[in-house]
Amino acid sequence: MSSLVGIMAMAVRALLAEQGALDVTSNNISNLNTAGYSRQRPVLVQADPVIQGPLTFGNGVLLEKVESLRDPILELRIHAEEQQQSKLETLVTGMSQVEVMFSSSSGDIGDQLSKFFNSLQQLSADPTSIPLRHGVIMAAGNLTSAFQTVVHNIQQQRSNLDLNVTQSVRQVNSVTQQIAQLNVQIASMENVHQDASAFLDRRNVLIGQLSQLLDVSVIQSDEGITLTTSNGTALVAGSRSFQLLTQADPSGFQHIFAQGADVTASLVGGQLAGLIEMRDQRLPSTISDLDILAAGLATSFNTVHHGGYDLNGNGGGDFFVPPPAGVTGAASSFKVQVSDPALLAASSDQSPGSNGNLGLLLAIRNQAVAAGQSPTDYYANLVFKVGNEVATNSAAQDASGLILQQLENQRSSISGVSLDEEAGNLLRYQRAFEAAARVVSTISEVMDTAVNLGRY
Amino acid sequence: MRVNPNTSNDLLQALQRTEKEAETALLQVSSGHRVNKPSDDPTAAAVLVGNHARADQTDQYLRSITSIQGELRTADATLNSVVTTLQRAISLGVQGANGTLSDANRNSLADDLTGIQAQLVGIANLSFQGRFVFAGTNSKTTPFVLDATQPSGVRYDGNAGVNSVAVGEGFQLQVNVPGSQLFSDPGAPVFQAIQDLITSLQNNIGIDAAVTGVRAAFDHVTTQRVFYGNALNQLESQQTFLGSVKLQLATEEDKVGGTDLAAALSRLSDAENARTATLQAAGQIARVNLFDFLK
Repeated sequence: MSSLVGIMAMAVRALLAEQGALDVTSNNISNLNTAGYSRQRPVLVQADPVIQGPLTFGNGVLLEKVESLRDPILELRIHAEEQQQSKLETLVTGMSQVEVMFSSSSGDIGDQLSKFFNSLQQLSADPTSIPLRHGVIMAAGNLTSAFQTVVHNIQQQRSNLDLNVTQSVRQVNSVTQQIAQLNVQIASMENVHQDASAFLDRRNVLIGQLSQLLDVSVIQSDEGITLTTSNGTALVAGSRSFQLLTQADPSGFQHIFAQGADVTASLVGGQLAGLIEMRDQRLPSTISDLDILAAGLATSFNTVHHGGYDLNGNGGGDFFVPPPAGVTGAASSFKVQVSDPALLAASSDQSPGSNGNLGLLLAIRNQAVAAGQSPTDYYANLVFKVGNEVATNSAAQDASGLILQQLENQRSSISGVSLDEEAGNLLRYQRAFEAAARVVSTISEVMDTAVNLGRY
Repeated sequence: MRVNPNTSNDLLQALQRTEKEAETALLQVSSGHRVNKPSDDPTAAAVLVGNHARADQTDQYLRSITSIQGELRTADATLNSVVTTLQRAISLGVQGANGTLSDANRNSLADDLTGIQAQLVGIANLSFQGRFVFAGTNSKTTPFVLDATQPSGVRYDGNAGVNSVAVGEGFQLQVNVPGSQLFSDPGAPVFQAIQDLITSLQNNIGIDAAVTGVRAAFDHVTTQRVFYGNALNQLESQQTFLGSVKLQLATEEDKVGGTDLAAALSRLSDAENARTATLQAAGQIARVNLFDFLK
């Protein structure tokens, strides 16, 4: 049988335990809107019993620990989905900018292509007309500048993406540094069995940020966590972070180096992977598609033009500036060679009024000049390709967004603070505190009674 | 099971989705196009590229037809006056064949015919917008020149070239007849026939045969004129055909890339309703929690 003092001590322990619980509840409510916060729960346990002879008395309550509720596996899945999501977002944003240039409008390549052929057609009804010959050269000029404008814009976009790469790498470095510091704090607290929840939550938020930038694999180890990219490049190992470096390649684009190795092409997730894929693959591929069309047009026009005769009866020269060998750069250097309208080789029989060669030039409209397709068909396919890329990626982005939302809901259902729940808890702990306080005062009265025994 | 206590994220996502739907529907209604950028429907966007190209081409065929028509009509009218002039030459020849005429009378007829010859050369040198219509493809050079060294008295500086202009998909229309074919056909040479008539009148020999020669030339030119009439007819029916092609292309464009107005409007009102409902629900949920009921 325990002493009155013992009971008093038990009640005081209860007061302290409930106060601790109120503290946790208050902290939960305070962090209702804190990003990455995992709700906490007081863990109350029975104190070790007191054994007196055959009797065992309970010895009250202890606030053993405060635990955070989180699901590490779920966190990993969320991070993985965030990588996917932000990569897709970068791709969709990038390709949407390209798409604008391929939207059907007056002035896009398709439209200028039609106008150019139409100007030839117009000339064929009146082949000696100088104004109409001017018209052909102007329409050809508009066509070539449409190509140049698109390529110029895409190149501009590539330079902008390149700036973003540098910025993202800087962000990665700042985040990995912070994670390494947190690792130190977490390790030192956990070594002395302290609760590092607050730091864990913060680290989790940072890993989330990192996941938006590049693909991160998390490996739990004794000295904290190790972060690597999915191909094994170390980013953080315990208390150490490894900086990524950027260095321009000969073409002026930044490559990413980790401990001396070029990891540019090996990134598969996050914004950086998206930026690099746009910069190094998608945009160049669109340009080289345009190169093929420009080179095909220039070559076939020149060939036919050589076979005709100009207004002075001389054989035709190059109509377009011949494309560079190997096609690369054909779109950006696409230019009209002929500037004197009289030098347009419309005639097929050396007489000025013949339009025979114009007929042959016009026939190119339906000839396979680029990858086995007519110019318009090839361009239509290009429009399809660009549009399809945006459509496919934004569908994937929507799907990934829904998955992410689901995962975040799951996370929130485990770790999120519910005000109803906290209100209930607050009431519960308050009542328990009041009751324990009542016990203290009751025992105090009992002790009074005991002290005054025999006075009367 | 514990439920997700924080519903605001779901609500925001739902609101964003309905807003996006409303925006898309609104754009479709206001622009009249279902495909406003390639990603709206990549296949349709590619089809539309071809469709626009064909529509532009059709417009161009129609413009070409208009500009050819002017030239063909002028050439046709000119040949008509050649025919009239040849008729006059024939009647002068018939007059000259009358045996009662004096040498002086026949000579004056021959002088008249010399005038007609010069007139014919003038007519045959017709130019349209700076081009000689009957010069073959050598259309920058005056095709017919009076030249005493030639047996017919007229030299042809044009060529035998013909031009064709596309006035439809795979439809090349010949747009000129070279002057050599019209005026110097070996079977019925116009200038030679007039020259022969002049000579025979001056020498009073073989006038009848010479008149027959002019008649043959008259028949020849009349026959050649049919070409222009034919070409003009063809152009007219081609114009009608191209008009229907344009209509069909416009219909196709609307089918592939146009907005189904009724559907778009109903999607718009659906999206707006969904948005209102979501906002209402959000307002209800956020209003109370347990704290409101505790004292």
